[in-house]
Formats: sequence, structure tokens, C-alpha cells
Amino acid sequence: MSPAVLTLRSVSKAFGAVQALREVSVDCRAGEIHALVGENGSGKSTLLGIASGFLEPDEGTIVVGETERRRVSPAESRRLGIGIAYQTYSHVLHLSVAENLYLAAPSDLRPTYRRMDEWAADRLAEFDLDIPPTAPTGTLSLAERQLLEVVKALLPQPTVLLLDEPTTALGPEGVDHLHALVHERSRAGVGIVYVSHRLPEVLGIADRVTVLRDGVSQGTFEAASMSEEGLVALMIGRPLQLAFPKRHEREAGREVLLAVSGLRGDRFGPIDLEVASGEILGIAGAEGNGQVQFLRALAGAERATGTAICDGKELDSRSPLGPLRAGVVLLSGDRASESLFPVLSVRANATIQVLRRLGGLGFLNRRRERRTVDDLVQRLGIRAASIEQPVQTLSGGNQQKVSLTRPFLRGDVKVILAEEPTQGVDIASRFDIYDALREKAKDGVAMILKSSDPLELAGLCDRVVVMSRGQIVDEIPGDELGERRIVEAIVGSRAGARKPAAESPEESA
Amino acid sequence: MRLGRFSGALPLVLMTVLIIAVGVFATVRQDAFLTSYNLNNLLLLAMPLALVSLGQTCALLIGGFDVSVAALMTFCVVVASYTMTFETSGWALLPGALVLIAVGLATGIFNAVLICVLKLPSIIATLGTFGILAGASLLLRSHPEGPISSDAISGLTKSVSFVPIAFVSVVVLAVLADLWLYRSRPGLALRAVGLDETSSRRLGMATGRIVILAFVACSVMASLAGLYLAAQVQIGSPIVDVNFALKSIAVAVLGGAALSGGRGSFVGTLLAALFLSLIDNVLPLFHQPTEYSQMTIGVLILLALILYQAPDLVSRLRTSWGGVGRLPAGHDEAPG
Repeated sequence: MSPAVLTLRSVSKAFGAVQALREVSVDCRAGEIHALVGENGSGKSTLLGIASGFLEPDEGTIVVGETERRRVSPAESRRLGIGIAYQTYSHVLHLSVAENLYLAAPSDLRPTYRRMDEWAADRLAEFDLDIPPTAPTGTLSLAERQLLEVVKALLPQPTVLLLDEPTTALGPEGVDHLHALVHERSRAGVGIVYVSHRLPEVLGIADRVTVLRDGVSQGTFEAASMSEEGLVALMIGRPLQLAFPKRHEREAGREVLLAVSGLRGDRFGPIDLEVASGEILGIAGAEGNGQVQFLRALAGAERATGTAICDGKELDSRSPLGPLRAGVVLLSGDRASESLFPVLSVRANATIQVLRRLGGLGFLNRRRERRTVDDLVQRLGIRAASIEQPVQTLSGGNQQKVSLTRPFLRGDVKVILAEEPTQGVDIASRFDIYDALREKAKDGVAMILKSSDPLELAGLCDRVVVMSRGQIVDEIPGDELGERRIVEAIVGSRAGARKPAAESPEESA
Repeated sequence: MRLGRFSGALPLVLMTVLIIAVGVFATVRQDAFLTSYNLNNLLLLAMPLALVSLGQTCALLIGGFDVSVAALMTFCVVVASYTMTFETSGWALLPGALVLIAVGLATGIFNAVLICVLKLPSIIATLGTFGILAGASLLLRSHPEGPISSDAISGLTKSVSFVPIAFVSVVVLAVLADLWLYRSRPGLALRAVGLDETSSRRLGMATGRIVILAFVACSVMASLAGLYLAAQVQIGSPIVDVNFALKSIAVAVLGGAALSGGRGSFVGTLLAALFLSLIDNVLPLFHQPTEYSQMTIGVLILLALILYQAPDLVSRLRTSWGGVGRLPAGHDEAPG
């Protein structure tokens, strides 16, 4: 057995009244891929925060190699050989890729300032990343940013690599790329701590798995001996029916609610497509093929030409206001900066679009507002201390549910455009969100769902279209829907693409 | 990228063009302008504003403001009327000048503690410091008194031909500072902290130390500005020229600094300070009331800011109209 490169010894950490971690012990051995799973709020991020020096444990110690510490500072943890790729990244978006890499490199591995660009190009080539070093980081796609984050964590040649949800923005090809990188490092003796919500992925790559629930370790297991169901049972403390909501029988001849024709914009088009009332249409495709731009153009958040007719009226997509007024709601994939007001409470975030309805004479009826929100919190299963809790302190899954409250409060929503609605969301919340979306569809809303998770598309959608290079290249009708069929369509539509290495054992859940 | 570099150079180009335009205009229309006496006067008058604005640029670069500089400058003038009295001369003036710099250092550390340790927003923290220093000035000198050493004044304003030696050193300082900012890792780190503090901390940078250094540098520069202001007013005047706080911010912004942090140029700041001093200098030559100078400066600041944003606006329009934006990696063929 290889020696442990990182050990956390019975660490505990409380934030105010909430005990985030309770005497958790984990060790990561050299060359091992150690997965850390648990629902949102189970303490995974706290654990990584302690290991990387951002948080100080209340009790317990951190052992890196031979050094045992009560706490480490971020700079010290880097020196000791811990590299971390953050879920929310550490890019300075206005600086170029090369400048970001330069800042991430330790002093002994940095070239002179002048040679920065060529040095960065070499590093990017070394990691098989096809990104120009002089591009401002803000112009990269989310997938590129995510891979770049891992490259930055690897630059100081760490002995332990912490990956916090490293695949949330990656399509199947990106996941392969990342996993190849991770395997290569683990063969070189680097210990890897891998935090992810995607259980098939975790079981595919990890050697051992540690499960956290409510800040308590449920044990560490050999990955080969675990099943997805087994892990889920440990994570939520009870066996979970991994069941997608039933597709409802749509009444025949329900009218087309959204008709798009010849829509063309930056990175996509022309696109023709119709969505009927009550239908959930999925959009699949490798990351960066115009799916996001298409949705955003429909919502008026991006420029496009062509027509979109919603409920008989042409949609005015010159600004987000037109679609909003017409009842077209975008659930942005970038929750924190585009859909939510992070410092405001759950209540304020939920009711901000419908305040007029909740008051009179220019004043708000607080009691009515509170009752409305309380109802929704119950219905969507939002876990918050109170509805006055600032949204930024909620877990990712609960934040997403808060952004879902808005289409629920507005009675006049006709179309929901959902971009990665379960990105970074834990399993139980995921199914709450699926239920909520299906419920809205049942009410007659037309929905377009962009997702990079084939399982989600297969389980939730009535029909899936596949986009490649900005155009629809394939359509999968409801009776053919399955994870494998979708993955094949994505891969098949990309010339010269590799076959996905890890195919999930189950076809549909 | 070319566009990015262009937008960075835009303020420098604009300021240079404006300075030349106003200079040529004044030369042609007014004989009194292009005299070594007037030019010398102009450069000396520009010194306090140039120095304090260079300091302010440091604060803006890390995304902060320092409004205490105005009161600090006045406080330095008042202190100078004690430490550099009319009777002192020669080397005996050195300790007096060092006291001023020490005052700047202390103020900078005080501000930095408020901002970094107590986590106060910089604009509020420095507003507090402003009040304290303004009051302290009045406590030391209730009305203008205490003439400042004439030896010190002539030393500070020593010129070769019409160029004050001090001005040459400020030019060198600004150029070196820009080279440091855009051609070295510490400079890059400073900009990174201004652009995105969280990411910078995650990248393992000592963000706290960088912020502290920026505010200390700002105050020290302001104390030097106070030294030159003392040479101008020549007496321990406790009346705070509040203008310096806002003017130094305006100058830094005209010179290309972004209020959101991370962007700016010391050379640009210096050029902008020169330009504003030039306006102040030229208008009286044309027998125009100084009110016009304030209005001119106000209008120019607005116009310049609109112009600075133009490249950004243009590129945003172009990418959103499609075809021009960079396609993601692996998609270099056109959609077809």
C-alpha cells in the first residue's frame, strides 16, 4: 500500500450553529484517486477548504506528507504540495490565459516575464489544451475555463490534487480529456481527491470512495465494491427511488406554443424548431456548439436574427424585457451572476418579479408575501434556515430551486428555457427540480432544456434535438430516448471524435 | 488582443494630443504662453496634482479610493510650517521633510489597517481619516501662519532652464512605475488583485499585503504632494483644498484608470495632471474667468470617459453580431 500523501485527522468545523463537519478522517494515498461524495451541504467543500488552507478546522489536524499541522495557510498549503481546482474557478477573467497561468506558477517554475506567452503555449500544449495563450480568459467557454482551472492546479506539480466538481461544465469529450489527465497524474504518484455529483463518473474513475452525510463520514469504500444505488443510499441515509417524473400523456393536438424559424446568431443558426404546450424539448450536444447562445438569443440576452413566435405573437428579442413580458423565462446556467441576487433573501429573490401582485398602494403586504414564499419553499423542498436567509449561503441545489420559484409565482409563464438546471446540484435536489419542471410542463408550459448530462435528457425530455456547430443535426423522438442513443448522437455528429471511454452501465434509470 | 492593447493606450494618446493641441493654440494666440517663465510656472503648479494623482492611481489599481489625500496634503503643509520654519535652512531641512514623509507613511498604515484588518470600504475609511486630519490641521494652525523656509522653496523649485528637476524625477518615476506595472510579475499581481481579489487569493497571492502597499504608497505620494503644496502656499495654511481628493481621482481616470480596479497607467495619470494644469494655466492668459476652467474640466472628463469606453462598446457590438468572435477550441471550421 502506498503511503498517505494527505491525511485529515478527525477534523471538525462549525459555522455558527451549523456543524459542517464532525470528526471526519480521510486519507489520500500516493497514486490514488479518492472520491468524496455527498449531497450539497454534506461538508465536502468544507473539507476541501480545510485541506487547501482556506478554512481553519475547530478540531483535528492536517498531515501533508511528513508535516502535521493544526491549520495551514493557502500559501503554505501550496508550498506543501497541495493543488486545488475550485468549482467556481480562480481565473482573473480580464487577464489573458498566459497571465493567469503565470500567476498560478510557483516562482521556481516561472520563466522571465517576457517569455510568458511562449511558456504558456508550451504548458497548454503539454496538457493538450487548444486555447490561444493571449486570449482574455473571459472569452473562453465554461468548459475551457474548467480544464484551465485543472491545469492551473497542476502547474506547481503538487503531490496532492484536490478537484472540486471538475466536470460540471464538460461534455463527454471534455470529461474524457480530464480523466486522461487525472489518470496520468495518478500514475505519476500524485494523490487525487475527486469531488463530484456524477456518480457513474465517480465509480468509473475512483479507487476508493468516502461518503459524507451531514458532516459525518459514512465510511471509505473500495469503488469496485460499490454500486450507484449503494452510494446514494449512504449519501441520503435511505434508499432513493432514482425515478424521473412520469411523462404525462399529452392531449393530442395541443398547440405549438413556441415556433422558431431561421434564427441565426453568434455561433448558431439557422435553427427551425417547434415546441408544443406541455412538451419538454431537450437540447444535447458537445459543449460550445451554440446551444447556450441559442437559448440566450431566444430570451433576448444575445443578438440574433430570424423569427420566434410565442403563442401566436412574434417575440421581441431585442432585449430580455420583450421575452420576459411575453412569458418566456430563462433559467440561466450562471445562477450566481445572472438569475439570483446572492445577498438578498430567499423571499426577496422569489418575489422580485411579482411584487405588484403582493401589495397595494405602493406598499408590500409582508404577510401575504411570506405566506406565498413559505408555500413554495415547501413545494420545491428548499432547505433553508428561514426564508430570510441570504441566497448566497445556500447550497447550489437550493439556489437553483430558488431561481425556479419565479416561474412558479408568475402565472403567465408560457415558455421556460432551462440551461443546465441541475449543474452542481445534489442528487435529491436534482429530482426535486425534475419534478418541479415536469409539473410546470403539465400546466401547459413549453420547455427547452439544455443539458450536458445525457441521463438527464433521456429521463426528463419528451424529445431531444442534438446540436453541432450551431445547427440541429439530429432529432431523437420520445420512444427512442436513451442515454446511449444520445451519447451516440453527440459523438456521431462530430467528425473524428473519439469513442467515449467510460460508458455508463445503465441505459436509463 | 490588438483591440485590448489599443484601448489601453487610448488615454495616453488622447492626453498627449490634447496637451499639444491646447499648447499650440495658446502659443499662436498668446505670446505670454511659450515663455520659459510661464512654462516653469506651469510645471511647478502641476507638481502637487501630479504627485497626489500618481498615489491615487495606486489606490484605484487595487479597486479602492483614497479621499483622505486632500486632508493629508493640507496637514503636511501645516506640519511643514513647524518642521521647515522660516529660520531653518540647508541640511537642517532634511529631517523636517522626512517628518512629512513619516506622516504620510503613518496615515497610509492607518488607512490600510482600517481597510484590510477592519474590512471597512476604502471610501468610508479614508473619509474618516480625512476628517481626522482636517481637524488636526485646524488644531495646529487655526489660521494661516508660520512662513515656510525659503531655502526649502527654492530647493524644491530648482530648475534647469525652464524644467524643474523635481518634474523630471516625477516623469522618470511614472515611466518606471508603468514598466513595473505592465512588465513584471509584482505589477501583474497588483492588477490581478484589483481585477478579482477572490481569484487572486485562490492563486496563492498575498492579497492583503498588496492592498496595504497600495494604500501606503498612495499616502506617501500624497505627503510628497503636500511638500510641494507647501512650497506653493509658502505658509502653514489649515484650509483643506477638498478639490484634491476628487481631482486626483478624476486625473487618474482621465489617465486611463478604471474605478473598478485593475486598470490604469502612471504615465497616463501624469499626462492628465499636466493637461488639467495646462487648462488652469491657459485660461487666465486669455482673460477667461477660472469658472470656465472647472466647467471645461468637467466636460472633458465626461467626453474622455465616453471615448474610453468606445472600443469596448464596438467590440461588444461586433461579437454579438456574429462571425467575429473567437470560436471555441476545436471548432475552427466554419459552420456548414
